[in-house]
Amino acid sequence: MTKPKVCVLRSDGANCDEELFYAFEKFGASPSMVHINELRNKSKKLKNFQILALPGGFSYGDDIASGKVLAVELISFLKDEIQTFVDRKGLVLGICNGFQTLVRTGLLPFGNLGKMDATLTQNDSGHFECRWVKIKGEKSKCLFLNHNEPIDIAVNHGEGKFYAEPSVIKKIEDQKLVIFRYIDQNGKPTQKYPDNPNGSINSIAGICDPTGRILGMMPHPEKFIEITQHPNWRRQKFTKPHGAFIFENLISYAKKS
Amino acid sequence: MIFEVRVKSNDEKDPKGAALLAEINKTLNISSIKKIQTAKVYRLENIKKEKVKIFAQTALFEKIDQIATYNKSIFPKSATVIEVGYKPGVMNPEVASILKVASDLKIKIDACDSSWEYAFFGPVTKSQIDQIVKRLLVNDTVENLIKKPPKTLKISGVAQKVQTVPITKLNDQELMDLTHDKLFLNLEEMKVIQNYFTKIKRDPTDCELETIALTWSEHCGHKTFRAKVTIDGKTKAPFISRIKKTAKNNQKLIISAFDDNSGVIDFYDGFAINGKVETHNSPSAIEPYGGAMTGSGGVFRDILGTGQGAKPVISTDIFCFAPPDLNVKELPPGCLPPEYLLRKVVFGVRDYGNRVGIPTNNGSVHFHPDFRAKPTVAVGSFGLIEKSRAKKGKPKSGNLIITLGGATGRDGIHGATFASGEMTDRTINVSGSAVQIGNAIEEKRLIDAILKLKEDNLISAITDCGAGGYASAIGEIAKETGAEVYLDKVPLKYANLAPWEIFLSESQERMVIAISPKNLKKVQNICEIYNVPNNVIGKFTSDKKLKIYYHKEIVCNLSMAFLHNGLPQRHMVGISKIRSQRSKSGQSSKPNNIKIEKVWQKVMAHGNVCSKEPIVRMYDHNVQGTAAMHPFSGQNFDGPNDGAIVMPILGKPYGLVVTHGLNPQLNKIDPYWGSIWAITEAVANFVSVGGNLKDAALVDNFIWPFPDEESLADLDKSVDACCNMANLLNMPFISGKDSLSSTYRYPNGQILKIPPVLLISVFGKIPDVKKTTSSDFKKAGSTIVLVGKPDFENLGGSTYLDIIKSRSGDIPKPDLQSITKVFSSITSGIKSSQIISCHDISEGGTATALAEMCIGGDVGAEIDIEQLKSKDDQILFSETPGTFLVEVNNENIAKKLFAKVPYYILGKTTKSDTIIVKGSKTTKVKVDTLKKSWQKPMREIFND
Repeated sequence: MTKPKVCVLRSDGANCDEELFYAFEKFGASPSMVHINELRNKSKKLKNFQILALPGGFSYGDDIASGKVLAVELISFLKDEIQTFVDRKGLVLGICNGFQTLVRTGLLPFGNLGKMDATLTQNDSGHFECRWVKIKGEKSKCLFLNHNEPIDIAVNHGEGKFYAEPSVIKKIEDQKLVIFRYIDQNGKPTQKYPDNPNGSINSIAGICDPTGRILGMMPHPEKFIEITQHPNWRRQKFTKPHGAFIFENLISYAKKS
Repeated sequence: MIFEVRVKSNDEKDPKGAALLAEINKTLNISSIKKIQTAKVYRLENIKKEKVKIFAQTALFEKIDQIATYNKSIFPKSATVIEVGYKPGVMNPEVASILKVASDLKIKIDACDSSWEYAFFGPVTKSQIDQIVKRLLVNDTVENLIKKPPKTLKISGVAQKVQTVPITKLNDQELMDLTHDKLFLNLEEMKVIQNYFTKIKRDPTDCELETIALTWSEHCGHKTFRAKVTIDGKTKAPFISRIKKTAKNNQKLIISAFDDNSGVIDFYDGFAINGKVETHNSPSAIEPYGGAMTGSGGVFRDILGTGQGAKPVISTDIFCFAPPDLNVKELPPGCLPPEYLLRKVVFGVRDYGNRVGIPTNNGSVHFHPDFRAKPTVAVGSFGLIEKSRAKKGKPKSGNLIITLGGATGRDGIHGATFASGEMTDRTINVSGSAVQIGNAIEEKRLIDAILKLKEDNLISAITDCGAGGYASAIGEIAKETGAEVYLDKVPLKYANLAPWEIFLSESQERMVIAISPKNLKKVQNICEIYNVPNNVIGKFTSDKKLKIYYHKEIVCNLSMAFLHNGLPQRHMVGISKIRSQRSKSGQSSKPNNIKIEKVWQKVMAHGNVCSKEPIVRMYDHNVQGTAAMHPFSGQNFDGPNDGAIVMPILGKPYGLVVTHGLNPQLNKIDPYWGSIWAITEAVANFVSVGGNLKDAALVDNFIWPFPDEESLADLDKSVDACCNMANLLNMPFISGKDSLSSTYRYPNGQILKIPPVLLISVFGKIPDVKKTTSSDFKKAGSTIVLVGKPDFENLGGSTYLDIIKSRSGDIPKPDLQSITKVFSSITSGIKSSQIISCHDISEGGTATALAEMCIGGDVGAEIDIEQLKSKDDQILFSETPGTFLVEVNNENIAKKLFAKVPYYILGKTTKSDTIIVKGSKTTKVKVDTLKKSWQKPMREIFND
């Protein structure tokens, strides 16, 4: 079976691109590093990929707001190409800054390219947080994730508080768009810091769009695909690194479709 | 015309405002203010009126959670509002992004700026606001209060003319007047310059004189380290030659030592690793946020500027400050309060390192009151490069000189010469322009582009623009060939720079590369993809001259030989200080009836010991996905580790290990043994995580007071300690840096010497990260062993004596007889997985190490120290470097592993929540009690 082609989208300030590239490569996809300027100058085209992956980082320094400048750039120059990509059932994954960017393009939560419905804003703590937390998956519209065990995962962000108006939150919940929530030691969704590291409404850590093909999350699954990446691999026994299944499922779905 | 757009959050919670309010309450004791809200102010110059709202709604604010106003205030009248922004001419990193968005949206804006408004609700007086502004909000060096809106944001002006300096006719006094506060050279050096120009029968231009002064500055010329020295009547080889000699140790590991922008050693699979540690004390003293940023930026470029371009994979940071609770009255004139410095330096490292995406995963913070006049701020970085591209490149005659990255402005003029001078109450005013704000994304673009240029084999030679800017970079890279430079080709931030200012400016995020002319198009194409400005500004020649042109005018024509070899070697004399505070074992003044349990808690809360977790959690130590040993691990992720390990090649088990050691307190008391302590500590940290000495190299940083006779003699002892220890351990020094300006002169002439710091960094390789260990106890029921020979008698300089307010001149010494064997027993015990946790003993002694291991493991412990035949307090709080606490499964393992070295089986880990120590008295203390004391200080400072 051919390996799904992944466009790992680089821009000025993307800095989790290499580990994301490695994750796709490790789990059987064929990733390419693509700078946004290469899409803008048409030397590379989205239609040649099955998966579009937006890595973490500080695109354009997160100036004005996290992911904002990149989101405006995507909409200004690549709106039609992205719309076509999504319409042709391409898969999209945004992690951390990639999630912030997807939300600011409007692709998440409702697939409204060019219209923002939710936001990711400054952590309640007021600063960047680098720590490991627990999240739990739940039954959602996502076409390739149905995992509901608690997992350990890294967060590395300053603006990760998921926020939308109550009516929008309700719509997100009603449509089953929430994929992951931050949980406490007892496995329950939590608003308590630092288990919920940013104060996200309803402990939301990751969501998808109504088609189930566009996924965004603040925590970093690509930073736990080797057991030795966990701070406690020397004391906790892991049979499998907890970030692996996200890539395995995404890639195997891409292979099938 | 300028349009103003103000944006604020709809949410009642305003984290930025709340953080400021907490600081005001705590630092200034002002409690009347009820709430602080913040708003962003954007100023857009010459945007079409009908475009303002569209631009704001698309780019500047999000109506989901924000509101905006146009050309009017956003806060109610009842609030007291102030606005803080960068001074004109100081680079605001956000401006480039705002202009980019505008251009992406095809909206024309001539210039723009952004700033912050703070609205105070509740009663607040004008003098309170003044205090808040002065103490917490505004740093005059780079920021100001915006009291009325500017008429224009554009900086205009005409280029300044080249001046000739009539140096040949000056007398001695006039020569000294010329150098004072500007060139920082001495009379002998000024006369050498005078003679040179007398001989070539003309006077120098300002550009020539500034270029010489820069190249000959202590910062660039390392005059003290190259000087012939006579110490206590005995003539000795220059410091630098002595240190370089150690690079003969373990030669097969070394790829390049003291030759390039960093030292390089062998790694695995055809790769090499490189390391460099820089200090950025002077800028950080007057503008800590920008100083820490540009310090990080500089050292990343040192890594990048090694070989044909290495990739930075680790960042480290080590700070020394006065204690945060220092009384403001004790602060020397012109100096900033330590708590402010600490917070702002941390924020600078955070905002720069996180954005560039280099994990900051090793560091420490130290406190001593004598750092009140100037902090020590050291930043290190370590990188990865293919071995085939790891050697320093040599430009060829005809190669082009290309500048990559940021534009040049007046920022940072005289940074190198300023860093070489003493600090006084006038420093902030005279040298303000020596400090700037970094632009992390500009640096990230540079890194991305240069790594691609390297991959495509397009770089003949590379160097960074650090201190001294182009003058230093081009002067150095073209030393063997000569160069022609056309300053009018350099992209400028604004027009009114004199040619010498362009050449010496220390504007950040610039690199210089040498390329073959046939590759120019390829280089330009790659730079274009990565949005990196690139300009050909000259070429390498073969006449060994530095010729600089500005349009058609020649502004500098110096022989490289004079520039680089004209500086006369200094002959310096050192005389050892008679140290008077010697007293036996600190016993003489030790109070009776010390309650171990209480003192233990205080030791844990001491600034040099307490947990730095709130700082570490703000640094991205996990980016690049390479961390194999995080700064903290353990049951609750809160046990501190001794070093950082990353796997720089994803998918391979190879580890790059980085550790460090320093103890300014001990260096002050005893420069020789204090330095031995620092090296031993750095190496012990490396060993403690599983490193093998034969796979590691050393990096030195001497941060010393101005070398008067006494400090020079101290420095000599420290250098001797470094060499002796390196030879004993068969380890090479391969990179280093000296910064000899840790002196402050009060207005009345009184001198304050800042404690001398010898910072030793160790970096090395490990074949499999699975064969490493962390410090957290892994389980209850294990055996706890003290390995190595502790020096219980000497407590001088220890945290413990500081707590009980006692003193001693006798500092702890490692046992040099057994130390290499101790190190190798630990290395092999970890490699064979028999040692399941390990922690080196340092500040706070065995008691602290034990507590930290229990905290990490969430277990208790029961140990017997009576067998150690000394006093309980001395056993628990002695700070002997090169000793370890280890966890093994049972006593038999310990007996086999440590058969050839001194060791003591202390006891066992337990399931309880308490540590029990049986000595002459029995001490019981809850792990949680110690943990709370240990975590409290930094939590308070960082409002965590």
